[in-house]
Amino acid sequence: MTTCTTSWLISRRCVRALAPVVFGCVVLAQDATDGWTTYHGDYSGRRHSALTQLTPANVHQITLKWAFATGDTASIKGTPIVSNGIVYLTTPDNVWAIDARSAHQLWRYTYPANEGFHIGHRGVALHKNTVYFTTPDAHLVALNANDGKVKWNVVIADQKKGYWSTNAPLLIRDHLIVGVAGDFDNLPGVLKSIDPETGGTQWIFYSTPPPGTPGNPSDGATGGQMWMTGTYDPRLNLLFVGTGNPTPVLNGPARAGDNRWTDSIVAINPDTGKLAWGFQATRHDTHDWDAAEVPVLIDAPFNGSPSKLLLQASRNGYFYVLDRETGRSLLTKPFATTNWAKGVDQDGRPIPDPAKEPAPDGRLVAPDESGGTNYRSPSFDPTSGLLLVSAHDAYGIYFFKPDHGAYGWAGADYGVYGKSVLRAIDYRTGEIRWHHELGDGASGAGVLTTATGLTFTGDTAGNVLGLRTSDGKTLWHAAIGRVGNSPITYELDGRQFVLVGAGSSLYAWALPEPQ
Amino acid sequence: MTNRLQTVPESLAAVLILGASVLAQPAGQQAATADQLQAGQRVFAAQCGFCHGRDAMGGETGPNLTRSAMVREDTTGDRVRSLLREGRTDKGMPAFRLSDADVTAMIAFIRDQRTKSESPGARRSVDPSDLQTGNAERGRAYFNGAGRCASCHSPSGDLSGVAGRLQGLELLQRMLYPSKSRAATAKITLRTGEVVTGTLAYRDEFVVAVTDSEGRYRSWQVRDVTFSVNNPLDAHVEQLAKYTDDDMHDVLAYLQTLR
Repeated sequence: MTTCTTSWLISRRCVRALAPVVFGCVVLAQDATDGWTTYHGDYSGRRHSALTQLTPANVHQITLKWAFATGDTASIKGTPIVSNGIVYLTTPDNVWAIDARSAHQLWRYTYPANEGFHIGHRGVALHKNTVYFTTPDAHLVALNANDGKVKWNVVIADQKKGYWSTNAPLLIRDHLIVGVAGDFDNLPGVLKSIDPETGGTQWIFYSTPPPGTPGNPSDGATGGQMWMTGTYDPRLNLLFVGTGNPTPVLNGPARAGDNRWTDSIVAINPDTGKLAWGFQATRHDTHDWDAAEVPVLIDAPFNGSPSKLLLQASRNGYFYVLDRETGRSLLTKPFATTNWAKGVDQDGRPIPDPAKEPAPDGRLVAPDESGGTNYRSPSFDPTSGLLLVSAHDAYGIYFFKPDHGAYGWAGADYGVYGKSVLRAIDYRTGEIRWHHELGDGASGAGVLTTATGLTFTGDTAGNVLGLRTSDGKTLWHAAIGRVGNSPITYELDGRQFVLVGAGSSLYAWALPEPQ
Repeated sequence: MTNRLQTVPESLAAVLILGASVLAQPAGQQAATADQLQAGQRVFAAQCGFCHGRDAMGGETGPNLTRSAMVREDTTGDRVRSLLREGRTDKGMPAFRLSDADVTAMIAFIRDQRTKSESPGARRSVDPSDLQTGNAERGRAYFNGAGRCASCHSPSGDLSGVAGRLQGLELLQRMLYPSKSRAATAKITLRTGEVVTGTLAYRDEFVVAVTDSEGRYRSWQVRDVTFSVNNPLDAHVEQLAKYTDDDMHDVLAYLQTLR
């Protein structure tokens, strides 16, 4: 039961979950249905809930139970973390603790004004009675969960060099895994493990070599920032994290080679920070296609044998299935419009077409910079074997000329056109089982699935959607504005709630109370 | 913030060297102070830098503001102020709540960056001269043939003089997807049998709306009507999958001959 100490609240639930759930509470599906205690809801990154009160037959009856307006202009892009009847909600520099029954605000914490990028925030992590919060200037702040008072504040990375953080930390036993971003400067990719009690650094993993590293393992590339929350397999004791694009971003000639481990999925021992294996989703990326998207962990048959799999719908437009014990590729297939690869190599990596590298006169490339998908979470439904991905079919024009230099962005690119489509990918084949058009532009909404065959997401016009997972048919919708986060669900007082953020407000839906 | 009146030597020098009157401060507008520029840079970096670049010359998803016609023409800053207040949610830009002083400082910073960006060696710019790799004759053939451009456009009609109106990157972008051009039209048949036609004003999975010939906005639930949409931009979207990079540059070269 040692791994149950991930959260004091999860451990309470574990006792109940152990019997019916084969893997127990600690493996892929924690099934902690009375909250949503971590960014992905569990270690697997499936964003699939075992709750069954809402069904395809009754979802059209759900009503708004409350709405919480932050009063801030920043959009809600993070996952609300729900524990013990309290919702913790974030935007850059801000944490709100609100009552999950009434939306009554318990406290608000505002971080002091700072010069870091205020681009978005993904959410907090909880441990015992502490709330952990990353800041635009790449600090990690520990707050008392009772009143939002600061316990400590440590630097993760140097904002003056160009790092920032939007990351929702991931707690693995006594390791708080925290990532940063920063691709406007040529900086090594940094992931840190921090002691949740003291804030002390336990280890640092570099996805690209820190300055002074002998040899040239990344072919001269920096970058590979790990700005998204990873996933974890307790049995293998491996943490899986997606790494970001290489820098300089659009200047390929400055870093000829594969540029490991940028745009990769890396498997790391969370106790030591040592790399177990890496798989490069895009080698020698010149289009800003971070492979930071959620590495989704499932135990399921593949080619007839039970397998420990890792699925990723990556920003470069390709869907990957890996054996997560070894990192070996099992399947690579596009799920969105792509025109940049000349096929797939024997290791399952798309082969970049040199003609689609940014050039002085421009190259028309699909996907565009925002990618075939992005940070918005996918969801895996084990019943149907479908990975539901908010995909983006888009073209951009990419420019690079030597005058652009070899620092930071080092080039120029412009989106031309894009539209959003929810795609249901069969994990066994990569085939699209069904799709649901979401409108022109890029959707910011992630996906949630539930055990009764419900899918929640949002379109680009500003509707939150409830769909039938088996075929994508719309069963419920509400025009609340563009959904900017990934929906979650939890049970409270015997009722199943669905929480969705749109603009700077958070909305809670449930079935009407029994009369 | 102190209010020292101090000109900024770098920008002044650039103005003098380039001799470009457009860069001079518009009448009635005071030169930015060094403090103001610094404050503007701080606010810009934190609030705008991710999308528009720390130097305002373009970043992830956001355009280069030093080349923005709107910023250039907005001598009073009122348009930028109102844009910040409202946001541009259709383009993914949120609203911002910033003090007047911060906005003024930020505008000063963008203007100063514009001056810097027009000095030699500036990065992340696309010059019209970069785009001259196409062949106009082949472009004309593609326009009239495989590209099917001629089925909607005419060099003596809507595209007459286009090369005088648009140049370089802007012409290329408009050629690929002219998002601000002709709007889609829709024909709505109501249950009563009444037919309404007009400019498509809104459409999602559940609601369709037109602006009718009298300028009136009318909307319906999709399930209550039958409707068809004619969107001339669909052909541009289809073509994106068909263009080779050579085709794209050839057609651009051809359009540049339409003066």
